[in-house]
Amino acid sequence: MNYPMVKRLILKDWYLMRAAIAGYLGAGALGLYLLTVGSEAAFTAGYILLITVLIAVGMHLAMVTVVVERTEHTLPFVMSLPISPAEYTAAKILANVLIFLVPWAALFSGAIAIISILVDVPDGLIPFVTVVLLEIFAAYCIVLAVAVVSESQNWTIGATVVGNLGLQAFLYYVSHLPGMAAANTGPMAVWSPAIVAIVATELAVIVGSIGVTFWLQGRKRDFI
Amino acid sequence: MSDLAIRFSGVGKDYPHFTLDNIDLELPAGGIMGFIGANGAGKSTTIRILMGLIHQDRGTVEVLGRPMPKEQAAIKADVGYVSEDMRLYKSATLDWHMKFVAPIYPGWDQGYAEELLKRFDLKAEQGIKGLSHGQRVKAALLLVLARRPRLLVLDEPTTGLDPVARHEVLGELMAVLADERRTILFSSHNTLDVEQISDQITFIDRGRIIAADDKESFLDRWRRVRLAVPTEVTLPALPGVIDTTRSGHLAVITVDRYDPAMAAAYGEAGATVSVVEPMTLEEIFVANVHGRRERCAA
Repeated sequence: MNYPMVKRLILKDWYLMRAAIAGYLGAGALGLYLLTVGSEAAFTAGYILLITVLIAVGMHLAMVTVVVERTEHTLPFVMSLPISPAEYTAAKILANVLIFLVPWAALFSGAIAIISILVDVPDGLIPFVTVVLLEIFAAYCIVLAVAVVSESQNWTIGATVVGNLGLQAFLYYVSHLPGMAAANTGPMAVWSPAIVAIVATELAVIVGSIGVTFWLQGRKRDFI
Repeated sequence: MSDLAIRFSGVGKDYPHFTLDNIDLELPAGGIMGFIGANGAGKSTTIRILMGLIHQDRGTVEVLGRPMPKEQAAIKADVGYVSEDMRLYKSATLDWHMKFVAPIYPGWDQGYAEELLKRFDLKAEQGIKGLSHGQRVKAALLLVLARRPRLLVLDEPTTGLDPVARHEVLGELMAVLADERRTILFSSHNTLDVEQISDQITFIDRGRIIAADDKESFLDRWRRVRLAVPTEVTLPALPGVIDTTRSGHLAVITVDRYDPAMAAAYGEAGATVSVVEPMTLEEIFVANVHGRRERCAA
């Protein structure tokens, strides 16, 4: 593996996305602020804004760094550099995941910090927030896999739509887990076996979707 | 290490509606090959295989003595590639692209890059988005030339340029190429562009190489013979005649491997040679394509 070249491509995607990420971080900061205002309406708005920002970041990243690279014909430029398809795939996945993790980690840690610090926001929400944000991360990894493998705008949009529908179903499912409502309003974070199982499944989906992407890319014979 | 910069042996690639078939191609180190074909003939497919961007279904490809696509990363370190459908990042400047590319190539020559900036009349700090198509082509050429590659692969770099920009790009390219000896594969459907730069010519049509030779041999071999032919005279079938067009008392013969003895043969048959004309590369290409297509249809 040509690590310097992979690193260079990761930094290239970061450079091209940095202004957008700064904008998303700003919107995310607004969402975090709304969580602290103290009203239920503001809290709900902040919560929705956080989720929306993360979904938008994922969609934007996959489209700009993967799909647009093909549609705008910058892919031949990149693939003419001294890299193999495997190194390109590694660079693309690592760049996307690392760049996505910047706002994701910032907003996740911000949300956890707010829940922990504010007295009127119950700490029991921490497991719920964790599984929801991990679900968004896992859904993003699936969207990224679809984008890298298909390089298709339509497939990527389709995967994003399905991911969003999946998030709604996931929220319904998690909210209706036995004891979840009570746990969310409790003073302590409760990591029930069901929550732990969900976290484990989400991590498996993240690792699995990245692994499948490498496997499918390894079988490709045409890269332009 | 082989003296061949490029060697294709029996290379094929199958698509649902197109087949690149049994491509044999050799380009010695230091040669400049013009790769001519109509749109959809298979030029870009061949070049993409050469660059490892797509993998051949059969046959072997060696570039700079190494197997492609197996060692494509190492090969591409010594190859500069510019294609008609290649674009730079719109949101970045040419300066950013130069700084992005320079550390990748040990041979990057910053002084030469700055000289090319002046020669191409480009501004490093200008955004790619604001460049004309001609300027974008020049910018892409700068990025590959300044790394001083052993092999330069240009896939229709002049396509889509207006005549002025095309003239500028070709002029600058020829000036740059005169600086030193490089191996170059230059593909185009525009024979005039290729003729100016190349010393070897390869024609491709419908996925197959139909002719390959050095440029001077092509130009020396091919002739158009205009004849005055009485209506009752039947012209003899002579070797090398690719096409015969008769109109009243006039006939035009297109000949590959013209021999002055042909004039005598036509004279003996009762025809009179009016003039023997040299042919342009474009006329030779078109005659080759029509000749092959007629043979395939027969």
